[in-house]
Amino acid sequence: MNIFVERGGITRRQFFKGTGIIAATAVFAGILGKIGIDIFKASDKYIEKRIAGLYTLDERMTIRKSHENPEIIQIYKEFLSPGEVKPLTEKSHHLLHTKYGSEIPELIKELEAHRHHAA
Amino acid sequence: MSTVVTKEIIHVTDRCKSCDHCTSVCPTGAIKGRLGEKHYIDHKKCVNCGQCLINCPFGAIVDMSMAEQVKKALADPSKVVVVQTAPAVRVALGEEFGLEPGANVKGKMFAALRRLGFDKVYDTEFAADLTIMEEGTELIHRIFAHVGVPGYEKSGPLPQFTSCCPAWIKYAEDRYPKILPHISSAKSPQQMFGAVAKTYAAQKLNVNPADMYVVSIMPCTAKKYECQREEMIASGFQDVDAVLTTRELAQMIKDAGINFLSLPDEKADRLIGSSTGAATIFGVTGGVMEAALRTAYEILSGQSLGNVEFKTVRGRKPIREATVNIPIKELGKTVPVNVCIVSGLKYVNEVIEDVLAGRSKYHFIEVMNCPGGCINGGGQPIRRDTY
Repeated sequence: MNIFVERGGITRRQFFKGTGIIAATAVFAGILGKIGIDIFKASDKYIEKRIAGLYTLDERMTIRKSHENPEIIQIYKEFLSPGEVKPLTEKSHHLLHTKYGSEIPELIKELEAHRHHAA
Repeated sequence: MSTVVTKEIIHVTDRCKSCDHCTSVCPTGAIKGRLGEKHYIDHKKCVNCGQCLINCPFGAIVDMSMAEQVKKALADPSKVVVVQTAPAVRVALGEEFGLEPGANVKGKMFAALRRLGFDKVYDTEFAADLTIMEEGTELIHRIFAHVGVPGYEKSGPLPQFTSCCPAWIKYAEDRYPKILPHISSAKSPQQMFGAVAKTYAAQKLNVNPADMYVVSIMPCTAKKYECQREEMIASGFQDVDAVLTTRELAQMIKDAGINFLSLPDEKADRLIGSSTGAATIFGVTGGVMEAALRTAYEILSGQSLGNVEFKTVRGRKPIREATVNIPIKELGKTVPVNVCIVSGLKYVNEVIEDVLAGRSKYHFIEVMNCPGGCINGGGQPIRRDTY
C-alpha cells in the first residue's frame, strides 16, 4: 500500500481504494456506535406495563369511588365528624391537613401545645 | 420520641464513574461534579426522588435505609408494628421474584408482610380514599369561593395543586414559596395513614399509641424524607416511624427465606385497610386527578357517574390537560372544570409561572415528580432492560 507515499500524486485507483476504506470505517463506526447507545439507553416499557397493571386492578375493584368506601364512611361517622360524613372538620384539619414552608414553625408550636394539652 | 435518622436520603458512592447520566435525569440540577470527577449531591436542592438512583448505569447511587430500625421494632415484643403499602408497590414487587412488570401481587404481598411479623397489615389505599375526601372537598370549596357562593370566602385560591408527592412539595417550598397557598393543605396518604393509625386505630385496637410503630412500604425514596418532617406529629408522636422501599421489602422477604411465589393470596386487615379503585390509581400519573374527579363530580352534581373512567386525563405526556363539564347542583348550571396533569418536575416551572402571572386557565393541577407516576418511583425495582 503506497497511498500515503507522495511520489507525483496518487493514481485514480489508489484514490478510490482510500475513500472506500474511509467510507467502510465510517459505516462500521456508525453501526457500533448505535449498538452502544442502545445498550446504554434503557427500555422504559416496564413503565407502561406497571401502569396497565394498576388500571386493571382498578377495573376489577367492586367499589371504584373513594366516597363509597365503607371504612371511609365509618371513620367519619365514628371519629372525624361524629354522626355524619363531613370532611374538613376541626379534627380533620388537625390530623389530616398541614402547612408549608414558612408556616411550619408555627404549626409545630400548635401541634406541640395540643400534645401537652392532651397529656 | 423522634425517630429522625437523617434527612439526606440519596448519596453517591465511590462506585461513581462520573458518566454524567444522573445529571440528565435529575429534575432539580442537584447533582454536582464535572465529567470525570466523582459526583456529589447538593442536598439543599435535592428533592430525594431517587430518579438518579434507578437510572445510574453503574448502581453507584444509594438511598439511606431504615430497614434495621424496622427489624428492631419487629423483634420488640412491646411494639405493635403496623404496616401500610402504597398502590404502586403491588404491581412492581413481583419483578424482584422474576415476574413481569405490572403483575399484581397484592395478595401475596399482604401474606408476606404477616409472615415477616407485622401485627397489623393495612393499606395506604385506605388513606388515599381519605385524601380524596379531604382534598376533593377542599377543591369544591375553592371552586365555590371562586364563583361567589356565600360562606366559602375563606377558601384558598384557584388553581389547586395536589399535595401527595413529597418531592414536588419540597421543590415548591425551595423554589416557589409564592405558589404554596395554591397547594392543597391535605397531607399525603402516607401521612394521613400515620395520623389516623396512632389515634383512631390505636383507640379501636386498644393500643397505647406510644407502643405503636408505623411502617410504610413505598415506591418512593422521598417518602423517607416526608415521614421525618418535624411537623408530621399530629397524633402526638411521629406519625410514620419508618419507610421501606419496594426493593427493601423484597430483600427482607428473601432474607427471611420466604418463598414469595408460593404464598397464598391474603387480604389486608379491616378498619383502615379497605380501598377502592380510585385509590389504586393514585400510583399512576393522572390517577389522583381521576380519583378526585370521580368523587367531586358525584358530590357537586348529586348524580351518579355512569362511566367512572376519565380517559382524557390518562397517558404519559409530561403535561396533559382536559376539561370536564360538571353540572353543579348548588348553582343550577354546568361549569367547565379545567384540569392539568404534570408528570416530571422538569415540566412544572412553566405551569407555575402561568399561575403566578395570572394567566392559568386551570382549576386543578396534579403534579408528580417521577415520569409516569409513583409506579416509576425511586424506590421501585431497578430495571436495566434494553430495547
